[in-house]
Amino acid sequence: VSSHVYLVLVLIFYAVGALHVLLQTLTRRRLLVTSWTVAATLVGFALHTAALAQRWTEAGHFPAVGLHDGASLLAWTMVLVFLIIYTRSRLEALGLAVYPMAFALVLIANLTPIAPVGDPVLKGLFLPIHTTLAFFGYAALFVAFAGGLLYLIQERELRSRAPRTFYYLIPSLERCDTLSARAVEAGFALLTLAIITGLLWSHTVHGRYWTSSPKEWSAVVAWSLYVVLILARQRTGWGGRRAALLGIAAFTAVAFTFVWMNVFALPVAARTP
Amino acid sequence: MIIVIGVSHRTAPLPVREALAFPKDQLRDALLRLRAETGAGEAMILSTCNRVELYARQDDPGAVEALESFLARYHARDGRELHAVLYRYADADAIRHAFRVAASLESMVIGEPQILGQVKEAYQAAEEAGTLGSALNALRNRSLAAAKRVRTETGIGRNAVSVSYVAVELARKIFGELKDKNVLLVGAGKMSELAAKHLVRSGGRATVLGGRTFEKAAELAAALGGKAAPLESLRDELARTDIVISGTGAPGIVIQEADVESARAARRGRHARPLFLIDIAVPRDIDPAVRRIGGVFLYDLDDLKTVAEANLRERLKESAPAEALVEREVREFLDWQKAREVVPLLNELRRRAEEIRRHELEKARRRIGPLTAEQDEAIEAATTAIVNKLLHSPTVHLKEAARESDAPEQLSLIRKLLGL
Repeated sequence: VSSHVYLVLVLIFYAVGALHVLLQTLTRRRLLVTSWTVAATLVGFALHTAALAQRWTEAGHFPAVGLHDGASLLAWTMVLVFLIIYTRSRLEALGLAVYPMAFALVLIANLTPIAPVGDPVLKGLFLPIHTTLAFFGYAALFVAFAGGLLYLIQERELRSRAPRTFYYLIPSLERCDTLSARAVEAGFALLTLAIITGLLWSHTVHGRYWTSSPKEWSAVVAWSLYVVLILARQRTGWGGRRAALLGIAAFTAVAFTFVWMNVFALPVAARTP
Repeated sequence: MIIVIGVSHRTAPLPVREALAFPKDQLRDALLRLRAETGAGEAMILSTCNRVELYARQDDPGAVEALESFLARYHARDGRELHAVLYRYADADAIRHAFRVAASLESMVIGEPQILGQVKEAYQAAEEAGTLGSALNALRNRSLAAAKRVRTETGIGRNAVSVSYVAVELARKIFGELKDKNVLLVGAGKMSELAAKHLVRSGGRATVLGGRTFEKAAELAAALGGKAAPLESLRDELARTDIVISGTGAPGIVIQEADVESARAARRGRHARPLFLIDIAVPRDIDPAVRRIGGVFLYDLDDLKTVAEANLRERLKESAPAEALVEREVREFLDWQKAREVVPLLNELRRRAEEIRRHELEKARRRIGPLTAEQDEAIEAATTAIVNKLLHSPTVHLKEAARESDAPEQLSLIRKLLGL
């Protein structure tokens, strides 16, 4: 079975969770995640793992280059991170962000062609190590971003003094804030390691650590914003609304890094990691 | 046959319900009289502020009328007047009604939790008076179990619909855990006391501010396991607190925007935790302008009522699954009840067959003469097997037939056929 077939099946199984979340929100019901949507997600995730393994053998290198593979791998890490958080804390509201995102990413993967690459640069160990760190970092920072969004929405609900759907669907401000804070810490650590391995990789290829590409700049900007956020939280007890806003801003830099790397830098990707 | 007659908030105004109520201390006497005067086999009386209902097991055709006239006689009311506001249910309808009442589907505020306890007490009183038999007892077990399932499996009782509980729920939506949250009470009114009690029970720590009547504040603080402080220390206390409940009788604003601002400034350095202000005073105690300050949530009495109404709408949405669950439980109970009706018939059938088998076996033994132990065992086993195999299909059929609507006719036909 080719990886394309797997990926279509993955899309169908992730659609169950995404549609369920959407319908529950529209009909203003409470159960964002049920045992059967989790079951569908687990089946989808297993198929997704098979799809990535298949792609790895097809491509001959770690499947993370170009939009097709990048989107697919990113969705896979997000679903994995979501499943881990869900088993530990039953945080259903996170599904509001993760399910549609995972569905959209797999849809993109299904609609885009496989990037034609065969560069020797992609053969080494740097590609799997650097991208695994980076992608899990993206996933964690997406969770932080989602936590911030949920915080802002719940805060708006509470300030409006007339609860609508999201008041009931989203947990307490405290819980959104904590989720965001933890996810930023984990995501920041991974991002730091990804940047370090990226610099080393660049050095082995170009003989230079810094090549001044847009994705390097955006990664460093994002990293700096997260430093500010973490320090502010620890030193001054910052949190809540301002932390949520800064987390969202920092994530746009992260998103830019991903998009640049996997969409625009594609022709160059083979040459400049 | 189980029958129910009664009045509720839907059929009768409060004065009528009051006049028909059975005080707790008269319940035993009323139950005994009910059984003696109506000839009911079993009886139970449910009397709450929203409903008065008589439950009875009685097989006479005039059972409903007997219950009605008993109720009128007991309270010395005009029978015809009473007739107009009463509802009457028999059989499956009565059982369905009993399940629905226990599950709070018939309550004024749907999903309210008190009714379950009241129904439990009513059955308890009937049990103590000795008027509870197997039929009502089975109804009690099944309807209470169904009511518990409704509470745990549907969202019917999920959101608070009383103002003081709404305040606690909002606090949870802001702070998550309420453990070790500081609660500041300004003024010691009934409603603020109630809300504070809920918060303290969830782990909050109370401080009561008292003005001229400091003793009252100290008393309330003691009751809440907290401390009291003078009204002058408002700003210091505000800086320390997470939740404020204000309910003074003061004519003007008690907590100014500047007070809250200074409190926020004082804690900004360490913690940006939110501040939840609950103003349940009329006229209001807290300047509405504080809503402009970041991290401050102010709810006045009207806001709390708005949330309570929204919660009630959410509950009504959950009533459909709850109704479906109750309906399933009612059907199961009815099936079970019907299956039980054929048990005596089955027992009789089995007894008759066994009697015939023994009789014929004895006759055969006398003709054959003495047998070895093995031979004896063999015919014993053979005859038992014949009886069992012959009875198997009628047994299964009878149990099935019991569930059908024409069960009585079918059962009497079977009786006739089998000569029972």
